[in-house]
Amino acid sequence: MTTNGSSGTQKLPLEGLRILDFTVVWAGPYSTMQLADWGAEVIRIESLQHFASTTRGVMARPPVEMVRAQSWLGYPDDDAGERPWNRYSVFNHHGRNKRAITVDMTRPEGQEVFDKLLRISDGVIENNVPVSMERLDVTWERVSAVNPNAVMIRMPAFGLTGSYQNYRTWGNHMEALSGHPLIRTYPDLTPEYAPQGVPADAASGIGAAFAFLLGLRQRRKIGKGVLIEAATAENFVPLLGDFVMDYTMNGRVWTQMGNDHWYLAPHNVYRCQGQDAWVTIAVENEDQWVELCRVMRMESLAGDTRFVDMESRHANRIELDSIIGEWTTNHQAHWVMNRLQQVKVPSGVVMNEKEALEDKHLHERGFWHPLTHPEAGTYQYVNTPWKASKTPNIAPRRHAPRLGEDNEYIYKEVLGFSEDEYRQFEETGHIGMDYDPSVP
Amino acid sequence: MTEQTTIMPLDDVRVLDLTHLAAGPFCTRILGDYGADVIKIERRETGDPSRGLPPFYKDEPGTERSGLFMFLNTNKRSVTLDLKSDRGRELVLELARDADVVVESFAPGTMDALGLGYVALKAANPRLVLTSISNYGKTGPYRDYLGMDINLYGMGGNMIGAGDFDHEPVKTAGRMVNYHAGYVAALATSLSLTSVELDGQSEQLDISVFETATHSIDGRLGRLMGYEHNGHLSSRPTRAAAVASGAHPCKDGYFLITGGARFLPNIIRMIGMEELLGKPEYATPAARANPDLIDEFLAHLIPWTLDRTKAELRVEAEKHGVLGGPLNTIEDLLNDESFVAREYFQEIDHPTTGPVKYPGYHFVLHRPDGEDGAEISMPKRRRAPLLGEHTDEVLSGALGLSVGEIERLRADRVI
Repeated sequence: MTTNGSSGTQKLPLEGLRILDFTVVWAGPYSTMQLADWGAEVIRIESLQHFASTTRGVMARPPVEMVRAQSWLGYPDDDAGERPWNRYSVFNHHGRNKRAITVDMTRPEGQEVFDKLLRISDGVIENNVPVSMERLDVTWERVSAVNPNAVMIRMPAFGLTGSYQNYRTWGNHMEALSGHPLIRTYPDLTPEYAPQGVPADAASGIGAAFAFLLGLRQRRKIGKGVLIEAATAENFVPLLGDFVMDYTMNGRVWTQMGNDHWYLAPHNVYRCQGQDAWVTIAVENEDQWVELCRVMRMESLAGDTRFVDMESRHANRIELDSIIGEWTTNHQAHWVMNRLQQVKVPSGVVMNEKEALEDKHLHERGFWHPLTHPEAGTYQYVNTPWKASKTPNIAPRRHAPRLGEDNEYIYKEVLGFSEDEYRQFEETGHIGMDYDPSVP
Repeated sequence: MTEQTTIMPLDDVRVLDLTHLAAGPFCTRILGDYGADVIKIERRETGDPSRGLPPFYKDEPGTERSGLFMFLNTNKRSVTLDLKSDRGRELVLELARDADVVVESFAPGTMDALGLGYVALKAANPRLVLTSISNYGKTGPYRDYLGMDINLYGMGGNMIGAGDFDHEPVKTAGRMVNYHAGYVAALATSLSLTSVELDGQSEQLDISVFETATHSIDGRLGRLMGYEHNGHLSSRPTRAAAVASGAHPCKDGYFLITGGARFLPNIIRMIGMEELLGKPEYATPAARANPDLIDEFLAHLIPWTLDRTKAELRVEAEKHGVLGGPLNTIEDLLNDESFVAREYFQEIDHPTTGPVKYPGYHFVLHRPDGEDGAEISMPKRRRAPLLGEHTDEVLSGALGLSVGEIERLRADRVI
């Protein structure tokens, strides 16, 4: 039986599961965050000798100039503190409800610790290039030999085979290769201005968590564990399905669409009153178009031959957008959204972080939940991404583990090492709460 | 019927699919990919509205010509049914009795109005998972608001931080926000199946597209947390936000590189200017965080990228551990050597189009006895159903209706 730190009385559906977590950056950690949220005991396996960049921070000990230059990857008050790896906002967020131990798996006794833990676990999740996992000897051959019931999710960017298998990328590069930024970038600027979001990372996290649950079902059916390969680029491409189909059916290649829709107009973002304030408006049919004109007090526009039906509006959308944009400039974004939604025209505020954190809808639905981290402070954390009627409001129960925080629990209570053995691991640099001084 | 020879994780799960358009069908498509028997209920005569949306094969509209519908509805069976008729409603409840999951994506309140709310479904099947997907969820002040992908991304996603500093924010491509919500719904559904197995009690899931976007770690979640920690609102980056970062022109297009103080040394080695690392302004991470270096370094980098193709740059980036990738078109992607070698895209035959390539599986299960784990064990997908293609099969097979009863339903315009 494992413990998940749950404080409520409702049993969570994944209680009793133990998962060994070798995930880095965002996509992998987001997947184990889902599983930990629902009760699985997720144990991050980290090493004091190796710092996985952009996981517990870009660097273990970032210089102050760097912290300031990349302020959106936040440390509390832009202060990385004594142990920056315990104060990095993104890690502390996706690390909630997980456990963390340290072990140097490049040494034989580290490998023994892993074997012992693997034998009493349900599976492994990792998102590294295969060569990195081979270096630690965490492969399917090894995992299935030690624990034939283990489910293993591997999520390298381009898969376990093929010429790109050890090509190391982040979500944005993998998305670039998969075609996303070139579709979404501005129609009137060179692709040098292409935006770089990483929706692929989010989809990979959701997908790998889903894959793990399917792996458990498959294990029950076939009586042994299973390897699931979730190449993050392949996982992402279906999210561009419309574009793939138009190409394979019709040979059409869409690029530089910006905020254009394939056929709807108006469909854009418009500047509003205030600093960097914007509202989106999308019109799906003629009723909505007439309502929009009425709200703008430009009823005559509805009869204007340039805008008389969807096709004309789409053809003349640049003119149309400048008319609408002139109107929105005189209003607050929230006013435009609420006014248009009252008459059933799709519209939304482009919310900045402050607006999202203060949004009344999210608050009313219990989207946020406060949690205190001993080295970072108290912040609002997201709850689960959906509401389940049997287990509402379960998500952030325990703060993200500090480096090595659960060493004592795992080594002693779970694995049964003695006090002397524990001290030995400490002296030999397997166990600790600080990265080796040689780690940058 | 199914030609499944492989054991699949969801092959003992039946999904009654009342969804339409994008998010809901994306969810049930994924459940179908991993073995679920998905029975899609469609409106009589017109079917799922996505049948009326482009891209159409050869740009000619028609019920069986939408590539969007074909993409979103593989591995499903189509039954036409009038949900507003009493008999139609009864048939849905009868189908729900034998299903494990009902997925729906109507506006909040619609299922109750149809007499198919959670209470009615639960009465029919006390072990049911009801997955509801809506734009903003079943409660809260925006409950009845409308939302297209652009609106939902603007409210929920990282739109305010997407694009260039001097220009407007831009959305993600196509229907990505809705698809992501559908993917979350598939995860939620599988978790709820586990929960029902544990306690035998039905469960209702409320999935809000707005919330799945706000929750998404596509930079939104990271930035929300960043703001909480240090109070900086994010704005769109300037074209080159850090030293060496950006989509740089090359011989045949553009190549994206992530630079910054931490990653610059590998980029410097890639372009063969190691001597820079000996200079004080490049020697330490602190020095390299100086924004004045951005323009200076681009003068070294861009002539070098301009001399090389996207493919050459990709190889160089991999070799030197540089985080980078080519800005491809969808055509480039379909012809990409790795995707081709891995046979990612799947050819699916359809009466309208003949064989056409579709995006492949999100992830693949390996054969349990595969020695090196490199053997993939996934069945071929079945094409999207024609409208009402499986009405008779499902009503006789799943509900045991006679030919005469089915004829009567057809005459009464229920099916």
